[in-house]
Amino acid sequence: MAGHTGGKPAPMSKRRAAGSASPDGDAGTAFWLMAPALALYALFTLLPIAATFWLSFNSSAGFNTSASFVGVDNYAKAAQDPIVWKSLGHTFIWLAYHVVMAGGLGLLLALAVSRLKITQVFFRTAFFLPHLVSLAVVGVIWANIYDPFFGLLNTALTRIGLGAFTQGWLSDPALVLFSVNVASSWQGFGLYMLLFIAGLQNIDHSLYDAAEVDGANAFQKLIYVTLPGLREVMTFVVSLAMINGLKGFATVFVMTNGGPFYQSELITTYIYRLAFQSQDHGLAAVLCILLSLLAIAITIVFNRWRARLSQ
Amino acid sequence: MSVRSREWPVALALTPVLILILSPFVWLLISSFKTEAEIGRADPFTWPADLMWRNYLDAWQIGGFGDLVGNSLINLVGVVALSLVTCAPAGYALAKIRFPGREWLFYAFILGLTVPVQAIVIPLYQVLFGLNLVNTLAGIVLVQVSNGIPFGIFLMRSFFIGVPDDLIEAARIDGASHFQILTKVFLPISTPAVQALVIITALSTWNDFFLPLIVLISPEVQTLPLGLVRFVSTYASDYRLVFSGTVISFLPIILLYILMQRRFTEGLTQGAIKG
Repeated sequence: MAGHTGGKPAPMSKRRAAGSASPDGDAGTAFWLMAPALALYALFTLLPIAATFWLSFNSSAGFNTSASFVGVDNYAKAAQDPIVWKSLGHTFIWLAYHVVMAGGLGLLLALAVSRLKITQVFFRTAFFLPHLVSLAVVGVIWANIYDPFFGLLNTALTRIGLGAFTQGWLSDPALVLFSVNVASSWQGFGLYMLLFIAGLQNIDHSLYDAAEVDGANAFQKLIYVTLPGLREVMTFVVSLAMINGLKGFATVFVMTNGGPFYQSELITTYIYRLAFQSQDHGLAAVLCILLSLLAIAITIVFNRWRARLSQ
Repeated sequence: MSVRSREWPVALALTPVLILILSPFVWLLISSFKTEAEIGRADPFTWPADLMWRNYLDAWQIGGFGDLVGNSLINLVGVVALSLVTCAPAGYALAKIRFPGREWLFYAFILGLTVPVQAIVIPLYQVLFGLNLVNTLAGIVLVQVSNGIPFGIFLMRSFFIGVPDDLIEAARIDGASHFQILTKVFLPISTPAVQALVIITALSTWNDFFLPLIVLISPEVQTLPLGLVRFVSTYASDYRLVFSGTVISFLPIILLYILMQRRFTEGLTQGAIKG
């Protein structure tokens, strides 16, 4: 357990950068402090990550069957499965919807709410309410809003004279992914709004005064001061929204279960279907790998981007 | 910058947006007090003739909401307590102790922060099955804690990094162990981080659906979101019950938030930025 610092006491002057306050011989202490977290994490996260990788090269027809090595067969099978491609495509569309609708609404409302002084807390609190509701419960709520007969949406449209716009919001294959994403975005935008508000508070106020002296109007201040000042928060919100979107499951599961005709199937819902209903674990594992790679790619790309911005 | 002159135009412009965004809650709340016949008339904008408190009583009893709320509470307390106990020491060790493999561990935790839980669900289920934890509240608590560990450790670590090393040195000269430094020096000054961890963990645990769906099979052990979805699919045609059951499942957390909104807001933004 010697490692970097060797076995002998290092003089205080030889301290390295952050986190070097400890004298030597602390590796054991560190281990015991880490042990509870590490044990749980290894058992319920690291081991499953490794096992998923292993499983993707094996055939397994369920939880009680033994697996046998099949090389890249599952990957080949996945490539030929039209629903895999559909769910992948839907996941990308889903992410785009979520970033634009939830992230965009969060930004717009943050810009408006942060201008308020007296009523700011009221609006911020009220706009945040949907985020407190479980996505599964959001699914239940919005399934009722979209209900063709009792639903709030169609009835409201009829009442205000827009009866021509009533739809089968969840039964129309062309519309279903969007409709379900509206529900998810309704739940999601509140957190992004709070983050944008925090970002707006961190913008140096003297920049606005300077812009004003230069005769900038409100729009110019937005373009040249506010938005550049929000760049870092924006990359953070977009990456958070993409990761949250990638994990999207509950609203689809509750509202459409992937239908009609797989038109709202996401990678996550297809994994669930394969793993717990049709019990094709090999194919499900390939989708799990795909989902992980997407998440890792998003994280790396946005961390790089953010690091570049903060230079 | 005159603040007052623009307060009311902006507030006025935001009001319709607010009504639109909160309309689902208002509609459900109003509908939950209607009779079956009133709902059947399909006009969401009429006020119920009588407030049918009965709907709530029926939903509560038929849906077994007492048990669901109880299970959700046990789940919540268990996950929050265990997350603090595991993440605070680990965050301290990663922030303030140099030990071999520290960087390596750091990357292992980043992996967990990144990979969605849906991507590891099959072996995760098998591990739980092997440990006899499927269909138990202990099982759901352990997997949710594990799922939140990367975030919790990052949050605590980034807060602890900001605490001056001099504090540790002084305490060590007085003969304090690292464990004592953590509990007597670091934790007492870390209220913002602890608050962020508690709020974010509590909210995500209370609202989790995917893991309970996998782990909790029988109704007696299910949590609120899972129980509501089961209840709604069973009584889908009884809108009275569906509406009042749904209100039961979101109203408590919303009232709690309104009471504690400042703490919630601080905790969530602090956690998101630090973590």
